[in-house]
Amino acid sequence: MKKTLILIVILAMGLALIASDYTVNKMFTKEKAKTGGTITISLDSAPQSFNHYGALDNAVYTVMGQVLIPLVEMNPITLEIEPGMAESWEISPNNKEVTFHLRASKWSDGVAFNADDVMFSMQYFVMNKFAEGNQVARYTLGGKLVEWKKVDNMTVKAILPEPYGAFFTVLAQAVLVPKHKLDGKFDKNDLGSVNKLWTTDVDMSEIVGTGPFVVKDYYPDQKIVLKRNPYYWKVDSKGIRLPYADELDYLIIKDPEVAVAKFLSGELDYLKITSKDYPSLKQKELKGADFKVYKGQPTKPTPSPIHITFNFDAENQQLREVFRNDDFRRAMEYALDRERIIEEVYNTLAVVGGVPVLPSNKAFYNPEIENIRRSFDLDKASELLDKIGIKDRNRDGIREFPNGQQFRFVLLTRNQQDFQDIAYLYSQDLKSIGVNVDLQILDAGLTSQKALAGDYEAAIMAFGNQPDPQLRKAIWQPGNPLYYNHLSSMDKDTRTVIKSELYDWELKIWEDFEKGQVTMDQASRKTYYDDWQKLYAEYVPFIYVCKGMDLMVASKDLGNFYQLDNGTMVYLEYTLFKK
Amino acid sequence: MWSFITRRLLIMIPMMFFISIISFTITELQPGDFATQFLNNPRVSPEQIIQLREKLGLDKPATERYLIWIKGIVTKGDFGYSFAYKRPVGELIWERMGWTVTIALITILFQWLISIPVGIYSALHPYSAGDYTLTTIGFLGMSIPNFFYALILMWVALKFGSTSVGGIFSAEYIGAPWSIAKFADLLKHIWLPLIVIGTEGLASLMRIMRGNMLDVVGSPFVNSLKARGLKDGVVKKHAIKNAINPMVSIAGMQLPDIFSGTIITAIVLNLPTMGPFFYTALLNHDQYLVMTFLMFIAFITQIGNLLSDIALASLDPRIRIN
Repeated sequence: MKKTLILIVILAMGLALIASDYTVNKMFTKEKAKTGGTITISLDSAPQSFNHYGALDNAVYTVMGQVLIPLVEMNPITLEIEPGMAESWEISPNNKEVTFHLRASKWSDGVAFNADDVMFSMQYFVMNKFAEGNQVARYTLGGKLVEWKKVDNMTVKAILPEPYGAFFTVLAQAVLVPKHKLDGKFDKNDLGSVNKLWTTDVDMSEIVGTGPFVVKDYYPDQKIVLKRNPYYWKVDSKGIRLPYADELDYLIIKDPEVAVAKFLSGELDYLKITSKDYPSLKQKELKGADFKVYKGQPTKPTPSPIHITFNFDAENQQLREVFRNDDFRRAMEYALDRERIIEEVYNTLAVVGGVPVLPSNKAFYNPEIENIRRSFDLDKASELLDKIGIKDRNRDGIREFPNGQQFRFVLLTRNQQDFQDIAYLYSQDLKSIGVNVDLQILDAGLTSQKALAGDYEAAIMAFGNQPDPQLRKAIWQPGNPLYYNHLSSMDKDTRTVIKSELYDWELKIWEDFEKGQVTMDQASRKTYYDDWQKLYAEYVPFIYVCKGMDLMVASKDLGNFYQLDNGTMVYLEYTLFKK
Repeated sequence: MWSFITRRLLIMIPMMFFISIISFTITELQPGDFATQFLNNPRVSPEQIIQLREKLGLDKPATERYLIWIKGIVTKGDFGYSFAYKRPVGELIWERMGWTVTIALITILFQWLISIPVGIYSALHPYSAGDYTLTTIGFLGMSIPNFFYALILMWVALKFGSTSVGGIFSAEYIGAPWSIAKFADLLKHIWLPLIVIGTEGLASLMRIMRGNMLDVVGSPFVNSLKARGLKDGVVKKHAIKNAINPMVSIAGMQLPDIFSGTIITAIVLNLPTMGPFFYTALLNHDQYLVMTFLMFIAFITQIGNLLSDIALASLDPRIRIN
């Protein structure tokens, strides 16, 4: 009897060792937690699918982000890479091979997770170019694909065509799907058929994951119920298995006003709010309401930071020449009153957001740009315009080209309130120094279409931030399809850069991005991206306006939801609990 | 009668064909396509957008796409699939039918139960204080924009400590099995959309009923009934029966409103109905979904008209369909 007992104890200890748990960073479990209960939050649209790779939809990413886990994870606060479904990894000396040792863990239905799941996910989802949400472009280096090899049941190897600095950041967005549930459910001869897996009418028990929660029920357009995954592999510092809450419910609320009303009526535990709602909620908090309003330092990709740009390839030959003049763009930056915009358009709830790396991004932000950035100064703007020959020649208060023709341009932007307001304030300031601007305000989709096709003179646009500049390479590196203020720098057929079209500073930026991509050492990578930011600040191809803050409101009985001294909001859905 | 119904149903076929062309043209006129919305999505590469266009057939000429769509409908009864949801559009529309029809029927019932008696009262007491008061209230409901009215009512409800704002259930009752508590929760929520959507059409229905009633009350047959010494109650009964006929044709016209009439209000009130769903599809350029929805509304309008014609004929012996 005693022997059996000892055997059982040894077996149990052995099992505990095999099931490799991971202790979550202490910053997320500061308070003594209570387990159980339901956390209810809002989702601003209904998910189009439950297939992470079958739709390009933020609601899907939000929900499935709780269910499926990538090989490595990125700490949302420190942006450091942490183990995910890979417990550890080694990089070969030539920086071209990464060997991942997988976590001995289970899917939420109890089936063991193994290397086949990784191979299956990479082949049919992440790197399947017919999957709508595929990420194949991020795994293509110098025209060649990253190769995956199964070493043994718990080890996989990635073979990179060349060293790849952002590899782990990219990997942190590639969630893994269960082979045992999906294999055989689609046509392998028609790889587009993977998009029809896990649509919104799927039997929810088919959806299994390795994340903190699994989908329990979906009521179309109303609510998604997630329940805790008993096999989740993260624990807190006391060894309590996460998540703390039994259920995580997403209420689908399309209208932000209704979301605030639902929060006030106690149905939601926390909520992202807009700068419009901030003052009234703050007032309520000060009057003793049972919630707290937070003004967080921006860390997330959205709201996308707004920028102004001038088309180097504008159809009007005279404008094109002026827009290509460095001093003109510097003058335009001097004419931008960021402080007023932050105050009047954003109720003071925005920050000047880098070029475009966020100041909160410790891994990549270059603070030097703050000394280069030009603050609002209309005299200096006028001076620079005079210098390049855009002067008021006939004393009518309006500037002319050297040939006497009136200088004016069309500023394109979308019909979204903040964009319109910024366009208007900017055009008024420009008018006061004799620059006439015609506003062209169009539907958001149409604005993007026109801008990205190069069919504009000047534009106000926005692209979301990403933690690693490599992920935004297609936008900010000259010679790319989204570097839309100088599209002639790209060969349209081969989609490659035409170096002869680049200015010296553009060529340097182009090289910085190339080097940043193939360097594995993060410190050296930073020097390249530092240089890029400096050049952007110096030559202003894009004038960055500002970035809205992370505004949130949370019930006071929500635990492990707080703000760091530097303003960053700290919380994870699976470490939240009801006090 | 049957030949009339058959004829009307047959006319619907070319009509629907014509409507399909209009629906397609309208969706084509909208600038951009389904892939456009992803142009500045940080997660989507330009290559992906090109692939997406090819996969969805958006790179094909418009006429070809129209013919493919129509062929699917005629040969397989397949209205295409939603670009966003990757599911057949018919299924998606059907999924949202339940609450859409329920909420609409309740509000229509609410409108009729109030507007008809009020209209009759107003007509029988014209230009009295009661008439003016009821008419003013009716017009107020009609002239306040619905979404604004919804916001005000929600604010008032919150102010008075209500915890049931937006949607039709509190979070814990969504998906819960039916119980007395759940029904009570429904009642706590449903009054808001009922009042907001209901009061919109109230004034016009009330005024139509009042006008009809006034016409009938002043008509010779009423005088003759009175001259024959019939009791007041009996005269009124005859008058009401005659005055209510035109309302039947209005009822038919209300049918399409059930599905598309209250989009913005439904968004503001967070109702799980078809309106907001259609609105999102429109914004996303989810073409087959939009076209099918438009076709569906057109079909319902025709059915509504047909039904009201039939109802009118059976109610009023003076109307002969032939």
